[in-house]
Amino acid sequence: MWATNLKVVGIVLGTLALYTLIANKIPQVQSEVPQALSLGANVTPEQLVAAGEKVFNGIGGCPTCHGLGTRAPNLLTDEKGTGPIGARCGKREPGKSCKQYLFESLDNPTAYIVSGYQPIMPVMTKQLSLQQVWAVIAFLESQGGTVDVTASDIPATSSASTTSPTGSGGGGGGGGGLAGGSTDPKAIIQAAGCLACHKLEGQGQVIAPDLTHVGSRRNAESIRKKILDPASSVTKGYEKLAGIMPKSFGTMMNAAQLEALAQYLAAHK
Amino acid sequence: MTDSALLLLQAAADTTHAYGEFPVIGARAFVWITAEVHLMFAAFVLGVPMFAVVTEAIGIFGGDERYDRLSKEFTRLLLVAYSATAIWGAMLVFGLSTLYPRFWAYLTAIFAPSMWVYAGLFFIESFTLYLYYYGWDRWKKGRAKLGHWTLGILLNVWGTIVMFIANSWLTYMMSPPRDITPTTDPTTIKLWHAIANATWMPINVHRVIANVVFGGAIVGAYASYRFLAARTDEERAHYDWMGYVGNFIAMSALIVLPFAGYWLGREIYQYDQSMGITMMGGFMSWLWVIQAFLIAVLFLTGNYYLWIGMGRIPGAERFRPYTKYLLMVLVLGAIVWGTPHTMIADSKELAAMGGSHHPFLGALGVMSAKNTAVNLMILTTFLSFLLYRRANTRPVVPWARAGTIIQGAMFAVAAGVVLFYGIRGYFVEAIVRIGFSVYQVLAVLSCIVFVTVIDILMARGAQSLGAIQWGKMPPRSQYALFILAVTFTWLMGLMGFARSGIRQYWHVWQVMQDTSKYAATPALGYASKMISLCVLIFLALVSFVFWLGGLAEKSTYVSTEKGPGHVGH
Repeated sequence: MWATNLKVVGIVLGTLALYTLIANKIPQVQSEVPQALSLGANVTPEQLVAAGEKVFNGIGGCPTCHGLGTRAPNLLTDEKGTGPIGARCGKREPGKSCKQYLFESLDNPTAYIVSGYQPIMPVMTKQLSLQQVWAVIAFLESQGGTVDVTASDIPATSSASTTSPTGSGGGGGGGGGLAGGSTDPKAIIQAAGCLACHKLEGQGQVIAPDLTHVGSRRNAESIRKKILDPASSVTKGYEKLAGIMPKSFGTMMNAAQLEALAQYLAAHK
Repeated sequence: MTDSALLLLQAAADTTHAYGEFPVIGARAFVWITAEVHLMFAAFVLGVPMFAVVTEAIGIFGGDERYDRLSKEFTRLLLVAYSATAIWGAMLVFGLSTLYPRFWAYLTAIFAPSMWVYAGLFFIESFTLYLYYYGWDRWKKGRAKLGHWTLGILLNVWGTIVMFIANSWLTYMMSPPRDITPTTDPTTIKLWHAIANATWMPINVHRVIANVVFGGAIVGAYASYRFLAARTDEERAHYDWMGYVGNFIAMSALIVLPFAGYWLGREIYQYDQSMGITMMGGFMSWLWVIQAFLIAVLFLTGNYYLWIGMGRIPGAERFRPYTKYLLMVLVLGAIVWGTPHTMIADSKELAAMGGSHHPFLGALGVMSAKNTAVNLMILTTFLSFLLYRRANTRPVVPWARAGTIIQGAMFAVAAGVVLFYGIRGYFVEAIVRIGFSVYQVLAVLSCIVFVTVIDILMARGAQSLGAIQWGKMPPRSQYALFILAVTFTWLMGLMGFARSGIRQYWHVWQVMQDTSKYAATPALGYASKMISLCVLIFLALVSFVFWLGGLAEKSTYVSTEKGPGHVGH
């Protein structure tokens, strides 16, 4: 009987070992938590391309569909004789530069459906921070084209959909936050889309109170409260618009970002 | 807003007190092991009662007492397994509440009422089981027996509801309703709204079927061990038959399982495209190659067991020459099914491959080829069952020859439809190609149903070529049953990793982020070690449970009533 028992144990262990071995022999891909991407004002095209390649192959998950030839157009290799994406992006839409076309494709993927493919691509500006998006664009341009994305592009682009609730994977009380977790107040304002309603330093709309001199009527504490709970106080003259400001900004930012933004705005006397 | 509320909001962003730590193996590994082993036991105690009640019904309405005894023996295995399920469930709850307190508080804020119902039903289920088992000999005849059978049905009802409740918690983590955001106060979420999420019902159906498969496989392994340990021919015959029944149930349910899986996959895609893509083509893409390998092992081993089993059936030798062709189809099908296609590849790998696909294997890795392969494998397995079923009989109905020709034609038509749409799929767009798989599946299912009906009608009054020599099986056939059980269990662990892993770094998809140091979803290599460990723990414990069952009571193997003279299956 002991011989039978040993055989049974051997078969069980052998089967488990075989499956474990095979699973360890295949390429190992771990799903990483997205990290905040911090690109300074002096970022070079090479740095953008390198960062973009990481996002493309990592958190972006782009090769899942692009490059396989069946789900979405090839980006890194030739697509039906038109070359890789960098070589063809500038010719896709008349009047649009390569980077304009690529940004719009990432921000509104259904705008330019390539013939023969389904509209399955998610809105990448909701999945990634703006910095990550622009880094990916630089990487795509480098595939057979010329990289013309610069640091100035990153804060220069405003889009309603860039008010990503999750930023670069933040949200939910996590430590990520808007704009890839950056504590640069301008980047936070850009990512949160504040200027879609407020005006600041000559930019933005006047639907909501002008923030150019907000520091003269609110201190940092008051601004912080207002961001966390917009209904806590209403600026005189804007009573009819009470309740329009989203309540979610407090959870979209981490504590450091909230503090940086409050101090920045309070300094606008 | 008060300062204290402000501090609370900021504290929410702080993860310091959101996670605990478990020594040596870490918090994630502890929760992984306890959840997986609990689930394996739970699947066992839910799957076994399903066919315990079916086999009891066969015993009652068919008048074959062997099935009643078999049913009782199944149920005996459940008694200790229930305790093990509860113990591992308690460990999981302790793990979650101490190692993931913030997440656990969130979940209980929504689901607390259902958790109390769950606990109450588990209590009722346990006592129904005790009544069912210990009342077996008391309520043995007439109406009392029907009442006893009703207890078995109730056991299944309670168990299924318990599973559905637990499924609602884990499917909420995968697919919370879209109106729930990170800022939604969990106490304001309506319970039913959270329960009836997008993946709840597909998971329910998938798990019900998978539990039958799993229960059948484990019972098959139990029977095979008892067969190997048997001291008499009678006992060996009983456990040979029990192993056959377990394997038959497992393989039959397995054939249906992919359709439930397809539904679940479709719901995941519809709920969130990016989640679906992550699952099928993202970092988890290699997982499906491993899955294909495991299912190939299941098909090959299941068929191998049948082919060996034909050695104990007089008359089966006339079908033996066909075995090698069946094997060829299965091996070719397995190779095609396991061909990688949708893989994450960087620019260097793409360049090394010479393009987006491998020049030769790329054509075999697409769904057209894979669907064709798996459908032909299912047809082949069904043919093996058919030959096994028919082995010791010769039909005597006047239309027997015509019936056989019609059956053959049905196989040919089904295979033809599968091949036609498989080839045609290469020349149409993806959205059209996806629809082709429905035609392929319908062709195979229709073939299975109609051929079976014809076979049953044709078997009426069939001439027997001799009784099945139960017990006259070589030991290697029983080891095949062990491989099936281990593979089914491992596959369950793998699919559990796939289901849970597609949430990636979210406790609750896009609502509550995992900010612990274990937030990254591990690669398949690490996952496979964890799965193997869980399978090993489960099998070791379940062996102990079976051994305890053997200590408590003598085997219920049939003595002589219908033993070796039995012809049917």
